[in-house]
Amino acid sequence: MLRFLKNNLKNSSKEDNEKYPSIAKNLDKNVKQLNKMFSSDKNSDFASREFVAQYSNNKINIFYYSTIVNGDKLYTGIIQPLLENVGETLKNVVTLEAIEELSTYEDVIEHINSGYVIIFEDTLDKAFAIDVAQFQHRGIEKSQNESVIKGPKEAFTEALGVNVSLLRKRFHDKQLINESLKVGERSKLEVNLLYVEDLVNNDVLKDVKKRINDIKSDNVRNVEMLEQFLEERPYSIVPSILYTERPDKAATYIEDGYIVILMDNSSACLIVPINFWAFFQSPEDRYLRFLYGNFTRLIRFIAFFITVFISAIYIGVTNYHSEMIPPDLLLAITAARERVPFPLVFEVLLMEIAFELIREAGIRIPNPLGPTIGIVGALILGQAAVDANIISPIVVIIVALSGLTSFAVSDVSMNYSVRLSKYIFITASAWFGMFSLTGAFIVWISYLSSLKSFGVPFFSPVTPTYKSPGNNLFRKALKNEIWRPGNIKPKDIKKKQTE
Amino acid sequence: MKPDKTLKTREMFAIVALFIGVKLSDTTATLYSQKVQNGFWLSVVVSLIIALPSFFILLHLLKLFKDKNLVELLEILLGKFIGKVVGFTIFLTSFGLLVLDSRNYVEEVKLLYFPESPTTSLYFIFIIVCILTAKRGLESIGSTSWIVLPFIKISMFLLAFLILKEIVWLRIFPIFGNGLDVVLTEGINKASIFSEFILLTIAYTSFRDTKFFRRGSYIGSSVVSLELVFFFLLYALVFDYNSIEKVAYPYHEVTQYVNLGNFFTNVETFFMVFWLSAAFLRFIIYLYLVAMVFGAVFNIKEHESLLLPLGLLTVSSGLLVENTVINELVYREKLLMYSTPLYVLLPYLLWIIKRLRRDLK
Repeated sequence: MLRFLKNNLKNSSKEDNEKYPSIAKNLDKNVKQLNKMFSSDKNSDFASREFVAQYSNNKINIFYYSTIVNGDKLYTGIIQPLLENVGETLKNVVTLEAIEELSTYEDVIEHINSGYVIIFEDTLDKAFAIDVAQFQHRGIEKSQNESVIKGPKEAFTEALGVNVSLLRKRFHDKQLINESLKVGERSKLEVNLLYVEDLVNNDVLKDVKKRINDIKSDNVRNVEMLEQFLEERPYSIVPSILYTERPDKAATYIEDGYIVILMDNSSACLIVPINFWAFFQSPEDRYLRFLYGNFTRLIRFIAFFITVFISAIYIGVTNYHSEMIPPDLLLAITAARERVPFPLVFEVLLMEIAFELIREAGIRIPNPLGPTIGIVGALILGQAAVDANIISPIVVIIVALSGLTSFAVSDVSMNYSVRLSKYIFITASAWFGMFSLTGAFIVWISYLSSLKSFGVPFFSPVTPTYKSPGNNLFRKALKNEIWRPGNIKPKDIKKKQTE
Repeated sequence: MKPDKTLKTREMFAIVALFIGVKLSDTTATLYSQKVQNGFWLSVVVSLIIALPSFFILLHLLKLFKDKNLVELLEILLGKFIGKVVGFTIFLTSFGLLVLDSRNYVEEVKLLYFPESPTTSLYFIFIIVCILTAKRGLESIGSTSWIVLPFIKISMFLLAFLILKEIVWLRIFPIFGNGLDVVLTEGINKASIFSEFILLTIAYTSFRDTKFFRRGSYIGSSVVSLELVFFFLLYALVFDYNSIEKVAYPYHEVTQYVNLGNFFTNVETFFMVFWLSAAFLRFIIYLYLVAMVFGAVFNIKEHESLLLPLGLLTVSSGLLVENTVINELVYREKLLMYSTPLYVLLPYLLWIIKRLRRDLK
């Protein structure tokens, strides 16, 4: 039965492909076929025009989507030359850059969808495709989510060509390859892989391409969705692909032999393979001078630590190891908690969840309402809850601190994984204090260290050890960055000729 | 791209430093000080002098037979059957020590920080953490050790620094404690405290290159030896003759002595966190190595699936002993004494066999 179904499926898909006849020499036949395929009677922006070409005196018909092509270009580059110019072949007549010859209807459909103009000429059993696409998109704007004080401000935008240009602008190398793949079964979209040919590790490249080709989805709209199709552990708490909207960050990674994945419709790119440290780095760390950059890194590391552990440690210490707290402080905490009816864990969780609510509301809230709700959130929830003896002021401090510091982990995915980890540790320390907290920490670290992103261990190049630019928790002076990161096994490990 | 074996020198160093190095903070010191009193740091030196050469001879032998681990080496030199039997004996003694020692650590945590919690639940949590972590493989254990190691060592040396003001140098006398003969016999009897060095060699082939294992072992063992002697000397200088034998957990006792300035006066929990991470990692490594020996003896390739049964067996057998005093001062001491000849003499025996059987290469 199953086999029968399978065969049936196979046959039907075969039929799907063979459904279209080949392009005929007779123009009318082709026009009819195309109008049928694109339902031109209903599809209001599907346009066609018929005229006689000057150079061959044959009838010509052109097809395109009027909403995604550049009208001026279409007129001056295609229609006008065909009506007026004289020449041997169509390619000599039309002045636009690249003209492709298509021989099947599948290609024709794909090209029309990508904003090409398709030209059918009577007596020819092929079609010509010319790129006059003009998809609408935003201009290049300032980076919104990864802002820097010192450094370039440009961010990617939702247009593939623009994004590639932003990258090429930053890295002038003839070996910088922009390889294009198609993804999606129904709506075929372009995915661009950017890498330096003589640096990139071929195994990783092959792996990435294989994963992209293996995607069996009707439509993969943008890199945000592509990321989830590419990663190996969709249920894991930690991300394995870096996502950035900054072209300068992407360019830094390309230089080191990483692969950057770009798509239309995303104002960001994906970077693979990646390690743990990269999620905490901002390009600004390397734009600032050595000492300042490392100071930032230190602050960020402390922030990370506070985010993950402060609530858990507070619970653990006050519940199980109160002898550790100096007496004056202990009295202060006890006095503050005296009138609060809830257990400490409940109190902390209540506040943590309230903070998550404020954060979520802050993102979704319409702009004009923002300040109002901010005041309600901060003042009402904070001050009034303390006055009403629902939570103690110290918990407000603890949770506000952990919430505030979580923003120092600027990567969106890592930010979530840090926040989720926080709850794991809160639960652990509520159970057996520092004992179970330490246990949970060890399990967490060992889980992280066992992860791999496209074959690269998560904590490399620190452990397992590889030659690297030393740009992990801290960074070296730029002068001393001699090696490329060895953990991704680039073809050329040496960054700079020292002798 | 699949880097199968990623372990290198620094992971080996971290593994040795945690696996053996934690001994400076558990009841090992108590075990020595029962008879030798404040000369016990010299007994450790004796034990190290006895134990380390055997370890180095074993490393030398392993170097001769490339790409063989401990059990495979035993099988080559002693023949298949005797090799397996010796391997199994090593498994039994190590597993016994694992059981007794883990109970010991759990009791330590319980007595010091959770006096009202049942041992059983603490023990279960302890072992479950060990199983979960060990399950992720030796690579991950090595990396975790290396990541956690700096914090542990910094906290240990912070402690050593803070306690310096409490020490009295004259407490070093009587230099041999209860006498030179006691120092020597105790040192020799308890040499198997360092039997874990021998156990480590089961992982010999798990490294990217065996030279990383050797290098890591040499650096690790020398650093750890210095640390141990230094800390034991420190305990002797803090606690003095006679009173030292009454101290059950010298490391934790020391943490109670120290203050961080005038405000933070009870910082033992701070040191306990790092000590606990070290203890967890020690037993993670221990459990993994024991499972590896068992797997090698019985030709079980998937030795990681042995972790769960072995771990649960550890809990159930560890709970059999009625209390920590008997556990520590009777069973563990006896087992250590009886297994000393096995661990100290085995490498020499193997070496002699290697010399006699020239046909082997």
